[in-house]
Amino acid sequence: MSQMLLEVEGLDKRFGGLHAVKQLSLQVAKGEIVGILGPNGAGKTTLFNLLTQFIAPDAGRIVFKGHSLRGLKPHRVVALGVARTFQLCRPFPGLSVLENVLVGSLGPRVHHPDLVERAMHLLEQVGLSSKADTAAELLSYGDQRRLEIARALATEPELLLLDEPFAGLGSAEIEAISALIRQLHAEKQLTILLIEHKLREFMQLVSRVIVLDFGEQIADGTPQQVVENPRVIEAYIGKQGAMP
Amino acid sequence: MRGLHQLDRSAAIVGTAALGVLAMVPVLFPGNYLIGVLTVAAIYGIWAVSWDFMCGLTGRENFGHALFIGVGAYAAGFMNVQLGWGPWWSLPIAMVLSTAFALLLGFPTLRLRGPYFALAMLSAAVIMQRLMLIFWEYTGGEEGIQDITPLIRNHLHYYWFVLLLLGVITFVLSWLARSRWGLILRAIRGDEATCLAAGIPITRYKIISLVISAALAGLGGALYAHYQLQVSPQLFSIITSITIITMVYVGGMGSIYGPVGGALLLTLLTEGLRDVGEWRLMVYSVLLILIIFFLPNGFIAPLWQRLRATLRGRP
Repeated sequence: MSQMLLEVEGLDKRFGGLHAVKQLSLQVAKGEIVGILGPNGAGKTTLFNLLTQFIAPDAGRIVFKGHSLRGLKPHRVVALGVARTFQLCRPFPGLSVLENVLVGSLGPRVHHPDLVERAMHLLEQVGLSSKADTAAELLSYGDQRRLEIARALATEPELLLLDEPFAGLGSAEIEAISALIRQLHAEKQLTILLIEHKLREFMQLVSRVIVLDFGEQIADGTPQQVVENPRVIEAYIGKQGAMP
Repeated sequence: MRGLHQLDRSAAIVGTAALGVLAMVPVLFPGNYLIGVLTVAAIYGIWAVSWDFMCGLTGRENFGHALFIGVGAYAAGFMNVQLGWGPWWSLPIAMVLSTAFALLLGFPTLRLRGPYFALAMLSAAVIMQRLMLIFWEYTGGEEGIQDITPLIRNHLHYYWFVLLLLGVITFVLSWLARSRWGLILRAIRGDEATCLAAGIPITRYKIISLVISAALAGLGGALYAHYQLQVSPQLFSIITSITIITMVYVGGMGSIYGPVGGALLLTLLTEGLRDVGEWRLMVYSVLLILIIFFLPNGFIAPLWQRLRATLRGRP
Protein backbone atom coordinates (compact mmCIF):
# COMPACT_ATOMS: atom_id res chain seq x y z
CA MET A 1 0.00 0.00 0.00
CA SER A 2 2.94 2.36 -0.55
CA GLN A 3 1.80 3.58 -3.98
CA MET A 4 -1.07 5.81 -2.89
CA LEU A 5 -2.76 7.99 -5.48
CA LEU A 6 -4.48 10.20 -2.93
CA GLU A 7 -3.45 10.74 0.68
CA VAL A 8 -5.48 12.89 3.03
CA GLU A 9 -4.33 13.60 6.56
CA GLY A 10 -5.95 15.59 9.32
CA LEU A 11 -8.38 17.36 7.01
CA ASP A 12 -10.51 19.84 8.93
CA LYS A 13 -13.22 22.33 8.06
CA ARG A 14 -15.58 24.44 10.14
CA PHE A 15 -18.46 26.56 8.87
CA GLY A 16 -19.05 28.89 11.78
CA GLY A 17 -20.30 26.67 14.60
CA LEU A 18 -20.63 23.61 12.37
CA HIS A 19 -17.65 21.28 12.39
CA ALA A 20 -18.27 19.82 8.93
CA VAL A 21 -15.15 17.71 8.57
CA LYS A 22 -13.14 16.61 11.60
CA GLN A 23 -9.51 15.48 11.41
CA LEU A 24 -10.26 13.25 8.47
CA SER A 25 -7.56 10.96 7.10
CA LEU A 26 -7.94 8.57 4.19
CA GLN A 27 -5.91 6.95 1.46
CA VAL A 28 -6.89 5.81 -1.99
CA ALA A 29 -4.69 3.46 -4.05
CA LYS A 30 -4.48 3.62 -7.83
CA GLY A 31 -7.28 1.67 -9.50
CA GLU A 32 -9.58 1.44 -6.48
CA ILE A 33 -13.28 2.23 -6.46
CA VAL A 34 -13.92 3.65 -3.01
CA GLY A 35 -17.35 4.57 -1.72
CA ILE A 36 -18.03 7.36 0.74
CA LEU A 37 -21.07 6.55 2.82
CA GLY A 38 -22.78 8.48 5.54
CA PRO A 39 -26.08 9.92 6.70
CA ASN A 40 -27.23 13.32 5.46
CA GLY A 41 -24.99 16.09 6.71
CA ALA A 42 -22.09 13.74 7.42
CA GLY A 43 -19.76 15.96 5.36
CA LYS A 44 -19.48 13.87 2.22
CA THR A 45 -20.00 16.63 -0.32
CA THR A 46 -17.90 18.98 1.80
CA LEU A 47 -15.12 16.39 1.59
CA PHE A 48 -15.34 16.52 -2.23
CA ASN A 49 -15.38 20.31 -2.19
CA LEU A 50 -12.28 20.30 0.00
CA LEU A 51 -10.45 17.73 -2.14
CA THR A 52 -11.11 19.74 -5.31
CA GLN A 53 -10.40 23.07 -3.57
CA PHE A 54 -13.84 24.47 -4.32
CA ILE A 55 -13.71 25.18 -0.58
CA ALA A 56 -10.43 25.87 1.22
CA PRO A 57 -9.73 23.51 4.15
CA ASP A 58 -8.87 24.96 7.59
CA ALA A 59 -6.18 22.37 8.24
CA GLY A 60 -4.77 19.14 6.90
CA ARG A 61 -2.81 17.69 4.05
CA ILE A 62 -4.15 16.62 0.62
CA VAL A 63 -1.55 14.95 -1.54
CA PHE A 64 -2.36 13.68 -5.03
CA LYS A 65 0.48 11.85 -6.85
CA GLY A 66 3.00 13.66 -4.69
CA HIS A 67 1.51 17.12 -5.34
CA SER A 68 -0.09 18.99 -2.48
CA LEU A 69 -3.49 20.24 -3.60
CA ARG A 70 -4.00 22.71 -0.76
CA GLY A 71 -4.17 26.31 -1.85
CA LEU A 72 -4.50 25.48 -5.54
CA LYS A 73 -7.27 27.02 -7.64
CA PRO A 74 -9.98 24.46 -8.54
CA HIS A 75 -8.98 24.52 -12.21
CA ARG A 76 -5.38 23.67 -11.25
CA VAL A 77 -6.62 20.62 -9.36
CA VAL A 78 -8.38 19.49 -12.55
CA ALA A 79 -5.16 20.11 -14.47
CA LEU A 80 -3.37 17.66 -12.15
CA GLY A 81 -5.93 14.97 -12.98
CA VAL A 82 -8.74 15.14 -10.43
CA ALA A 83 -12.20 15.58 -11.95
CA ARG A 84 -15.55 15.81 -10.22
CA THR A 85 -19.25 15.70 -10.95
CA PHE A 86 -21.90 17.60 -9.03
CA GLN A 87 -24.71 16.17 -6.95
CA LEU A 88 -27.18 18.34 -8.85
CA CYS A 89 -26.47 18.06 -12.57
CA ARG A 90 -25.09 21.29 -13.91
CA PRO A 91 -24.84 21.11 -17.67
CA PHE A 92 -24.04 24.39 -19.42
CA PRO A 93 -27.38 25.83 -20.53
CA GLY A 94 -27.44 27.09 -24.10
CA LEU A 95 -24.67 24.73 -25.15
CA SER A 96 -25.21 21.50 -27.05
CA VAL A 97 -24.35 18.13 -25.50
CA LEU A 98 -21.25 17.96 -27.68
CA GLU A 99 -20.17 21.48 -26.69
CA ASN A 100 -20.62 20.61 -23.02
CA VAL A 101 -18.10 17.81 -23.40
CA LEU A 102 -15.79 19.97 -25.53
CA VAL A 103 -15.53 22.53 -22.73
CA GLY A 104 -14.13 19.79 -20.53
CA SER A 105 -11.38 19.12 -23.04
CA LEU A 106 -10.17 22.72 -23.31
CA GLY A 107 -8.02 22.55 -20.20
CA PRO A 108 -4.24 22.07 -20.26
CA ARG A 109 -4.26 18.27 -19.79
CA VAL A 110 -5.76 17.33 -23.10
CA HIS A 111 -3.54 17.12 -26.17
CA HIS A 112 -5.58 15.61 -28.94
CA PRO A 113 -5.47 16.75 -32.57
CA ASP A 114 -9.23 16.50 -33.02
CA LEU A 115 -11.13 17.53 -29.91
CA VAL A 116 -14.51 17.10 -31.61
CA GLU A 117 -13.73 13.52 -32.57
CA ARG A 118 -12.52 12.85 -29.04
CA ALA A 119 -15.67 14.37 -27.54
CA MET A 120 -17.83 12.26 -29.86
CA HIS A 121 -15.94 9.18 -28.73
CA LEU A 122 -16.63 10.05 -25.09
CA LEU A 123 -20.31 10.57 -25.88
CA GLU A 124 -20.35 7.13 -27.49
CA GLN A 125 -18.84 5.64 -24.35
CA VAL A 126 -21.52 7.10 -22.12
CA GLY A 127 -24.25 6.33 -24.67
CA LEU A 128 -25.15 9.87 -25.69
CA SER A 129 -23.73 10.06 -29.22
CA SER A 130 -27.18 10.22 -30.82
CA LYS A 131 -27.96 13.35 -28.79
CA ALA A 132 -24.75 15.25 -29.53
CA ASP A 133 -26.54 18.25 -31.04
CA THR A 134 -29.34 18.43 -28.48
CA ALA A 135 -29.39 21.39 -26.09
CA ALA A 136 -27.99 20.02 -22.82
CA GLU A 137 -30.79 21.36 -20.63
CA LEU A 138 -33.35 19.35 -22.64
CA LEU A 139 -31.80 16.00 -21.67
CA SER A 140 -33.58 13.65 -19.27
CA TYR A 141 -32.17 13.49 -15.76
CA GLY A 142 -30.43 10.17 -16.42
CA ASP A 143 -28.87 11.54 -19.60
CA GLN A 144 -27.72 14.65 -17.73
CA ARG A 145 -25.89 12.31 -15.33
CA ARG A 146 -24.20 10.64 -18.28
CA LEU A 147 -23.29 14.03 -19.69
CA GLU A 148 -21.92 15.08 -16.30
CA ILE A 149 -19.67 12.00 -16.32
CA ALA A 150 -18.63 12.56 -19.96
CA ARG A 151 -17.66 16.14 -19.20
CA ALA A 152 -15.58 15.03 -16.23
CA LEU A 153 -13.94 12.33 -18.36
CA ALA A 154 -13.15 14.90 -21.04
CA THR A 155 -10.62 16.47 -18.66
CA GLU A 156 -8.68 13.17 -18.79
CA PRO A 157 -8.73 12.50 -15.04
CA GLU A 158 -6.81 9.88 -13.10
CA LEU A 159 -9.08 10.28 -10.12
CA LEU A 160 -12.80 10.75 -10.67
CA LEU A 161 -15.01 12.02 -7.86
CA LEU A 162 -18.67 11.16 -8.40
CA ASP A 163 -21.09 12.95 -6.10
CA GLU A 164 -24.26 10.83 -5.87
CA PRO A 165 -24.30 9.59 -9.46
CA PHE A 166 -27.57 7.71 -8.84
CA ALA A 167 -29.48 10.56 -7.23
CA GLY A 168 -32.95 10.97 -8.70
CA LEU A 169 -32.64 8.00 -11.07
CA GLY A 170 -34.92 5.01 -11.62
CA SER A 171 -33.64 1.46 -11.23
CA ALA A 172 -33.02 0.89 -14.96
CA GLU A 173 -30.97 4.06 -15.16
CA ILE A 174 -29.08 3.16 -11.97
CA GLU A 175 -28.21 -0.17 -13.57
CA ALA A 176 -26.97 1.59 -16.69
CA ILE A 177 -24.86 4.16 -14.82
CA SER A 178 -23.41 1.39 -12.61
CA ALA A 179 -22.41 -0.53 -15.72
CA LEU A 180 -20.87 2.63 -17.15
CA ILE A 181 -18.82 3.23 -14.00
CA ARG A 182 -17.60 -0.39 -14.01
CA GLN A 183 -16.71 -0.17 -17.68
CA LEU A 184 -14.77 3.06 -17.22
CA HIS A 185 -12.92 1.56 -14.30
CA ALA A 186 -12.01 -1.52 -16.32
CA GLU A 187 -11.07 0.30 -19.54
CA LYS A 188 -9.21 3.31 -18.25
CA GLN A 189 -7.91 1.97 -14.91
CA LEU A 190 -9.63 5.00 -13.51
CA THR A 191 -9.54 5.48 -9.76
CA ILE A 192 -13.00 6.40 -8.57
CA LEU A 193 -14.26 7.89 -5.33
CA LEU A 194 -18.02 8.02 -5.08
CA ILE A 195 -20.63 9.29 -2.69
CA GLU A 196 -23.90 7.44 -2.60
CA HIS A 197 -27.04 6.66 -0.63
CA LYS A 198 -28.48 3.82 -2.68
CA LEU A 199 -26.92 1.05 -0.62
CA ARG A 200 -27.46 -2.05 -2.72
CA GLU A 201 -26.03 -0.82 -6.05
CA PHE A 202 -23.34 1.01 -4.22
CA MET A 203 -22.11 -2.01 -2.29
CA GLN A 204 -21.89 -4.05 -5.48
CA LEU A 205 -19.87 -1.36 -7.22
CA VAL A 206 -17.16 -0.45 -4.73
CA SER A 207 -14.18 -2.39 -3.42
CA ARG A 208 -13.89 -0.37 -0.22
CA VAL A 209 -16.15 1.88 1.81
CA ILE A 210 -15.28 4.82 4.03
CA VAL A 211 -18.11 5.82 6.36
CA LEU A 212 -18.48 9.37 7.67
CA ASP A 213 -20.69 10.58 10.48
CA PHE A 214 -20.75 14.18 11.70
CA GLY A 215 -17.61 14.89 9.70
CA GLU A 216 -15.67 12.05 11.25
CA GLN A 217 -14.52 8.78 9.75
CA ILE A 218 -16.20 5.95 11.68
CA ALA A 219 -15.33 2.99 9.46
CA ASP A 220 -13.08 1.97 6.58
CA GLY A 221 -13.24 -1.51 5.06
CA THR A 222 -14.83 -3.83 2.54
CA PRO A 223 -18.58 -3.41 2.01
CA GLN A 224 -19.18 -6.59 4.06
CA GLN A 225 -17.05 -5.38 7.01
CA VAL A 226 -18.66 -2.00 6.98
CA VAL A 227 -22.29 -3.15 7.12
CA GLU A 228 -21.44 -5.34 10.09
CA ASN A 229 -19.60 -2.56 11.91
CA PRO A 230 -21.59 -1.61 15.05
CA ARG A 231 -20.65 2.08 14.77
CA VAL A 232 -22.04 2.21 11.24
CA ILE A 233 -25.26 0.50 12.31
CA GLU A 234 -25.51 2.96 15.17
CA ALA A 235 -25.03 5.95 12.87
CA TYR A 236 -27.69 4.73 10.48
CA ILE A 237 -30.26 3.10 12.78
CA GLY A 238 -29.47 4.51 16.21
CA LYS A 239 -28.06 2.97 19.41
CA GLN A 240 -29.11 -0.57 20.26
CA GLY A 241 -31.67 -0.49 22.97
CA ALA A 242 -32.52 3.10 22.27
CA MET A 243 -35.25 1.92 19.97
CA PRO A 244 -38.45 0.60 21.49
CA MET B 1 -22.81 23.87 -35.70
CA ARG B 2 -20.22 21.23 -35.02
CA GLY B 3 -16.58 21.78 -34.46
CA LEU B 4 -14.36 24.68 -33.59
CA HIS B 5 -12.94 27.50 -35.71
CA GLN B 6 -15.64 27.16 -38.29
CA LEU B 7 -16.45 30.30 -40.17
CA ASP B 8 -20.05 30.94 -40.99
CA ARG B 9 -19.51 31.48 -44.74
CA SER B 10 -22.94 32.77 -45.59
CA ALA B 11 -22.78 35.28 -42.73
CA ALA B 12 -19.33 36.42 -43.87
CA ILE B 13 -20.58 36.94 -47.43
CA VAL B 14 -23.73 38.77 -46.34
CA GLY B 15 -21.70 40.87 -43.88
CA THR B 16 -19.19 41.88 -46.55
CA ALA B 17 -22.00 42.71 -48.95
CA ALA B 18 -23.74 44.81 -46.30
CA LEU B 19 -20.51 46.73 -45.66
CA GLY B 20 -20.14 47.26 -49.41
CA VAL B 21 -23.65 48.68 -49.63
CA LEU B 22 -23.01 50.93 -46.61
CA ALA B 23 -19.79 52.17 -48.22
CA MET B 24 -21.65 53.02 -51.43
CA VAL B 25 -24.61 54.83 -49.82
CA PRO B 26 -22.89 58.24 -49.49
CA VAL B 27 -21.53 57.94 -53.04
CA LEU B 28 -25.04 57.45 -54.38
CA PHE B 29 -26.58 60.07 -52.09
CA PRO B 30 -23.85 62.66 -51.54
CA GLY B 31 -23.98 65.02 -48.61
CA ASN B 32 -21.93 65.65 -45.48
CA TYR B 33 -24.94 65.20 -43.20
CA LEU B 34 -25.49 61.62 -44.32
CA ILE B 35 -21.78 60.82 -44.13
CA GLY B 36 -21.75 62.17 -40.58
CA VAL B 37 -24.71 60.05 -39.49
CA LEU B 38 -23.21 56.93 -41.04
CA THR B 39 -19.79 57.57 -39.47
CA VAL B 40 -21.36 57.88 -36.02
CA ALA B 41 -23.43 54.75 -36.72
CA ALA B 42 -20.28 52.80 -37.61
CA ILE B 43 -18.52 54.01 -34.43
CA TYR B 44 -21.53 52.94 -32.37
CA GLY B 45 -21.23 49.63 -34.19
CA ILE B 46 -17.67 49.24 -32.86
CA TRP B 47 -18.85 50.09 -29.33
CA ALA B 48 -21.78 47.70 -29.47
CA VAL B 49 -19.79 44.80 -30.89
CA SER B 50 -17.02 45.31 -28.32
CA TRP B 51 -19.62 45.27 -25.51
CA ASP B 52 -21.19 42.12 -26.89
CA PHE B 53 -17.91 40.23 -27.11
CA MET B 54 -17.31 40.40 -23.36
CA CYS B 55 -20.76 40.87 -21.90
CA GLY B 56 -23.02 39.19 -24.42
CA LEU B 57 -20.96 36.02 -24.42
CA THR B 58 -20.15 35.76 -20.70
CA GLY B 59 -23.39 37.31 -19.45
CA ARG B 60 -21.45 39.65 -17.14
CA GLU B 61 -23.10 42.93 -18.02
CA ASN B 62 -21.05 46.07 -18.11
CA PHE B 63 -23.10 49.16 -17.26
CA GLY B 64 -20.19 51.53 -17.77
CA HIS B 65 -18.85 50.86 -21.25
CA ALA B 66 -18.80 54.65 -21.58
CA LEU B 67 -15.78 54.58 -19.26
CA PHE B 68 -13.60 52.96 -21.93
CA ILE B 69 -15.11 55.14 -24.65
CA GLY B 70 -14.47 58.32 -22.68
CA VAL B 71 -10.95 57.28 -21.73
CA GLY B 72 -10.17 56.56 -25.38
CA ALA B 73 -11.68 59.84 -26.57
CA TYR B 74 -10.00 61.97 -23.88
CA ALA B 75 -6.68 60.22 -24.47
CA ALA B 76 -6.98 61.19 -28.13
CA GLY B 77 -7.97 64.78 -27.33
CA PHE B 78 -5.35 65.29 -24.64
CA MET B 79 -2.45 63.82 -26.63
CA ASN B 80 -3.45 65.70 -29.75
CA VAL B 81 -4.31 69.12 -28.37
CA GLN B 82 -2.46 69.52 -25.05
CA LEU B 83 0.68 67.61 -26.01
CA GLY B 84 0.55 68.26 -29.75
CA TRP B 85 1.09 64.66 -30.81
CA GLY B 86 0.15 63.58 -34.32
CA PRO B 87 -3.44 62.32 -34.58
CA TRP B 88 -2.49 58.75 -35.53
CA TRP B 89 -0.88 58.28 -32.12
CA SER B 90 -4.36 58.54 -30.63
CA LEU B 91 -5.47 55.11 -31.77
CA PRO B 92 -2.81 52.96 -30.05
CA ILE B 93 -2.66 55.19 -26.97
CA ALA B 94 -6.45 55.13 -26.54
CA MET B 95 -6.35 51.34 -26.70
CA VAL B 96 -3.51 51.06 -24.18
CA LEU B 97 -5.17 53.43 -21.69
CA SER B 98 -8.58 51.78 -21.85
CA THR B 99 -6.85 48.42 -21.41
CA ALA B 100 -5.23 49.78 -18.24
CA PHE B 101 -8.66 50.77 -16.91
CA ALA B 102 -10.04 47.35 -17.81
CA LEU B 103 -7.30 45.63 -15.80
CA LEU B 104 -7.73 48.02 -12.87
CA LEU B 105 -11.48 47.35 -12.64
CA GLY B 106 -11.58 43.77 -13.90
CA PHE B 107 -9.03 42.25 -11.51
CA PRO B 108 -10.85 43.01 -8.27
CA THR B 109 -14.43 42.60 -9.53
CA LEU B 110 -14.48 39.83 -12.13
CA ARG B 111 -13.30 37.19 -9.67
CA LEU B 112 -16.42 37.81 -7.60
CA ARG B 113 -19.88 36.59 -8.40
CA GLY B 114 -22.80 38.93 -8.08
CA PRO B 115 -23.31 42.46 -9.31
CA TYR B 116 -19.89 43.86 -8.32
CA PHE B 117 -18.52 44.10 -11.85
CA ALA B 118 -21.63 45.80 -13.23
CA LEU B 119 -21.74 48.25 -10.30
CA ALA B 120 -18.02 48.99 -10.38
CA MET B 121 -18.19 49.80 -14.09
CA LEU B 122 -21.26 51.98 -13.60
CA SER B 123 -19.72 54.00 -10.79
CA ALA B 124 -16.28 54.23 -12.39
CA ALA B 125 -17.82 55.88 -15.44
CA VAL B 126 -19.73 58.35 -13.24
CA ILE B 127 -16.60 59.12 -11.23
CA MET B 128 -14.58 59.73 -14.39
CA GLN B 129 -17.25 62.11 -15.64
CA ARG B 130 -16.92 64.10 -12.38
CA LEU B 131 -13.12 63.99 -12.54
CA MET B 132 -13.23 65.55 -16.01
CA LEU B 133 -14.97 68.54 -14.40
CA ILE B 134 -12.74 68.69 -11.30
CA PHE B 135 -9.49 68.64 -13.29
CA TRP B 136 -10.74 71.23 -15.75
CA GLU B 137 -7.24 72.71 -16.25
CA TYR B 138 -6.29 69.58 -18.14
CA THR B 139 -9.62 68.36 -19.46
CA GLY B 140 -11.34 71.62 -20.32
CA GLY B 141 -14.11 71.02 -17.78
CA GLU B 142 -17.65 71.28 -19.10
CA GLU B 143 -16.41 72.52 -22.48
CA GLY B 144 -14.08 69.58 -22.95
CA ILE B 145 -11.19 69.66 -25.39
CA GLN B 146 -11.70 71.50 -28.66
CA ASP B 147 -9.82 71.75 -31.96
CA ILE B 148 -8.73 68.16 -32.31
CA THR B 149 -7.00 67.43 -35.62
CA PRO B 150 -8.87 65.07 -37.94
CA LEU B 151 -7.22 61.76 -38.81
CA ILE B 152 -8.35 61.99 -42.43
CA ARG B 153 -9.58 65.33 -43.77
CA ASN B 154 -11.91 63.96 -46.42
CA HIS B 155 -15.16 63.04 -44.65
CA LEU B 156 -16.03 60.27 -47.08
CA HIS B 157 -12.59 58.71 -46.77
CA TYR B 158 -12.78 58.88 -42.97
CA TYR B 159 -16.17 57.17 -43.08
CA TRP B 160 -14.71 54.40 -45.23
CA PHE B 161 -11.79 54.05 -42.81
CA VAL B 162 -14.16 53.68 -39.82
CA LEU B 163 -16.37 51.29 -41.75
CA LEU B 164 -13.34 49.17 -42.69
CA LEU B 165 -12.28 49.00 -39.02
CA LEU B 166 -15.83 48.02 -38.03
CA GLY B 167 -15.76 45.25 -40.65
CA VAL B 168 -12.39 43.90 -39.54
CA ILE B 169 -13.32 44.04 -35.83
CA THR B 170 -16.66 42.31 -36.41
CA PHE B 171 -15.01 39.63 -38.54
CA VAL B 172 -12.27 38.92 -35.99
CA LEU B 173 -14.66 38.92 -33.00
CA SER B 174 -17.12 36.64 -34.82
CA TRP B 175 -14.28 34.26 -35.56
CA LEU B 176 -13.14 34.36 -31.93
CA ALA B 177 -16.71 33.81 -30.73
CA ARG B 178 -16.93 30.64 -32.80
CA SER B 179 -13.54 29.38 -31.65
CA ARG B 180 -12.74 27.57 -28.40
CA TRP B 181 -12.43 31.01 -26.82
CA GLY B 182 -16.07 31.79 -27.56
CA LEU B 183 -17.16 28.36 -26.39
CA ILE B 184 -15.46 28.96 -23.05
CA LEU B 185 -17.07 32.40 -22.71
CA ARG B 186 -20.51 30.91 -23.40
CA ALA B 187 -19.79 28.17 -20.87
CA ILE B 188 -18.88 30.85 -18.29
CA ARG B 189 -22.23 32.46 -19.01
CA GLY B 190 -23.87 29.09 -18.32
CA ASP B 191 -22.25 28.05 -15.04
CA GLU B 192 -18.99 29.25 -13.52
CA ALA B 193 -18.64 26.36 -11.06
CA THR B 194 -18.99 23.80 -13.83
CA CYS B 195 -16.31 25.67 -15.77
CA LEU B 196 -13.96 25.32 -12.83
CA ALA B 197 -14.81 21.61 -12.63
CA ALA B 198 -13.94 21.42 -16.32
CA GLY B 199 -10.52 22.90 -15.55
CA ILE B 200 -11.15 26.33 -17.09
CA PRO B 201 -9.40 29.31 -15.43
CA ILE B 202 -12.50 31.49 -15.66
CA THR B 203 -11.15 34.70 -14.13
CA ARG B 204 -8.34 34.82 -16.68
CA TYR B 205 -10.78 34.39 -19.57
CA LYS B 206 -13.11 37.05 -18.24
CA ILE B 207 -10.33 39.58 -17.71
CA ILE B 208 -8.74 39.05 -21.12
CA SER B 209 -12.16 39.35 -22.77
CA LEU B 210 -12.79 42.58 -20.90
CA VAL B 211 -9.41 43.87 -22.04
CA ILE B 212 -10.27 43.11 -25.70
CA SER B 213 -13.67 44.74 -25.22
CA ALA B 214 -12.16 47.81 -23.55
CA ALA B 215 -9.37 48.27 -26.07
CA LEU B 216 -11.86 48.27 -28.96
CA ALA B 217 -14.21 50.63 -27.12
CA GLY B 218 -11.24 52.95 -26.51
CA LEU B 219 -10.34 52.76 -30.18
CA GLY B 220 -13.92 53.71 -31.02
CA GLY B 221 -13.64 56.60 -28.54
CA ALA B 222 -10.55 57.93 -30.31
CA LEU B 223 -12.24 57.57 -33.70
CA TYR B 224 -15.19 59.52 -32.32
CA ALA B 225 -12.93 62.27 -30.93
CA HIS B 226 -11.24 62.67 -34.31
CA TYR B 227 -14.60 62.83 -36.03
CA GLN B 228 -16.29 65.33 -33.67
CA LEU B 229 -12.96 67.19 -33.33
CA GLN B 230 -13.85 67.79 -29.68
CA VAL B 231 -14.54 65.72 -26.57
CA SER B 232 -16.81 66.49 -23.63
CA PRO B 233 -17.62 64.83 -20.27
CA GLN B 234 -20.97 63.69 -21.74
CA LEU B 235 -19.05 60.81 -23.32
CA PHE B 236 -18.76 59.16 -19.90
CA SER B 237 -22.46 59.49 -19.20
CA ILE B 238 -24.72 56.61 -18.31
CA ILE B 239 -26.76 57.53 -21.40
CA THR B 240 -23.89 56.44 -23.63
CA SER B 241 -23.64 53.08 -21.83
CA ILE B 242 -27.39 52.46 -21.89
CA THR B 243 -27.59 53.39 -25.57
CA ILE B 244 -24.96 50.75 -26.36
CA ILE B 245 -26.67 48.08 -24.26
CA THR B 246 -29.96 48.87 -26.03
CA MET B 247 -28.25 48.43 -29.39
CA VAL B 248 -26.91 45.03 -28.30
CA TYR B 249 -30.31 43.88 -27.05
CA VAL B 250 -32.01 45.04 -30.24
CA GLY B 251 -29.38 43.26 -32.31
CA GLY B 252 -29.35 40.04 -30.32
CA MET B 253 -27.05 39.54 -27.36
CA GLY B 254 -24.09 37.23 -27.90
CA SER B 255 -24.43 37.09 -31.68
CA ILE B 256 -21.63 39.65 -32.40
CA TYR B 257 -22.99 40.66 -35.84
CA GLY B 258 -26.47 41.40 -34.44
CA PRO B 259 -25.34 44.34 -32.27
CA VAL B 260 -23.66 45.93 -35.32
CA GLY B 261 -27.04 45.85 -37.05
CA GLY B 262 -28.67 47.13 -33.87
CA ALA B 263 -26.22 50.05 -33.72
CA LEU B 264 -26.84 51.03 -37.34
CA LEU B 265 -30.61 50.73 -36.95
CA LEU B 266 -30.82 52.70 -33.72
CA THR B 267 -28.41 55.44 -34.84
CA LEU B 268 -30.55 56.04 -37.90
CA LEU B 269 -33.65 55.90 -35.71
CA THR B 270 -32.10 58.48 -33.36
CA GLU B 271 -31.62 60.80 -36.31
CA GLY B 272 -35.31 60.35 -37.05
CA LEU B 273 -36.09 61.14 -33.39
CA ARG B 274 -34.05 64.37 -33.36
CA ASP B 275 -37.22 66.39 -32.88
CA VAL B 276 -38.16 64.69 -29.59
CA GLY B 277 -34.76 65.74 -28.16
CA GLU B 278 -34.76 65.14 -24.41
CA TRP B 279 -37.34 62.37 -24.75
CA ARG B 280 -34.84 60.24 -26.62
CA LEU B 281 -33.73 58.30 -23.54
CA MET B 282 -37.33 57.56 -22.71
CA VAL B 283 -38.02 56.31 -26.22
CA TYR B 284 -34.92 54.16 -25.91
CA SER B 285 -36.00 52.76 -22.55
CA VAL B 286 -39.48 51.93 -23.80
CA LEU B 287 -37.93 50.23 -26.83
CA LEU B 288 -35.63 48.23 -24.57
CA ILE B 289 -38.51 47.15 -22.32
CA LEU B 290 -40.62 46.13 -25.31
CA ILE B 291 -37.78 44.13 -26.84
CA ILE B 292 -36.88 42.32 -23.61
CA PHE B 293 -40.56 41.56 -23.13
CA PHE B 294 -41.52 40.41 -26.61
CA LEU B 295 -38.21 39.56 -28.29
CA PRO B 296 -35.82 38.36 -25.56
CA ASN B 297 -33.31 37.22 -28.19
CA GLY B 298 -33.30 40.58 -29.93
CA PHE B 299 -34.39 41.53 -33.38
CA ILE B 300 -31.57 41.41 -35.92
CA ALA B 301 -29.90 38.06 -35.12
CA PRO B 302 -33.14 36.00 -34.93
CA LEU B 303 -34.35 37.69 -38.13
CA TRP B 304 -31.18 36.67 -39.95
CA GLN B 305 -31.33 33.12 -38.59
CA ARG B 306 -34.92 32.72 -39.75
CA LEU B 307 -34.07 34.19 -43.14
CA ARG B 308 -31.19 31.78 -43.57
CA ALA B 309 -33.27 28.80 -42.51
CA THR B 310 -35.93 29.77 -45.07
CA LEU B 311 -33.32 30.12 -47.80
CA ARG B 312 -31.81 26.74 -46.94
CA GLY B 313 -35.23 25.13 -46.89
CA ARG B 314 -35.81 26.22 -50.48
CA PRO B 315 -32.63 25.59 -52.45
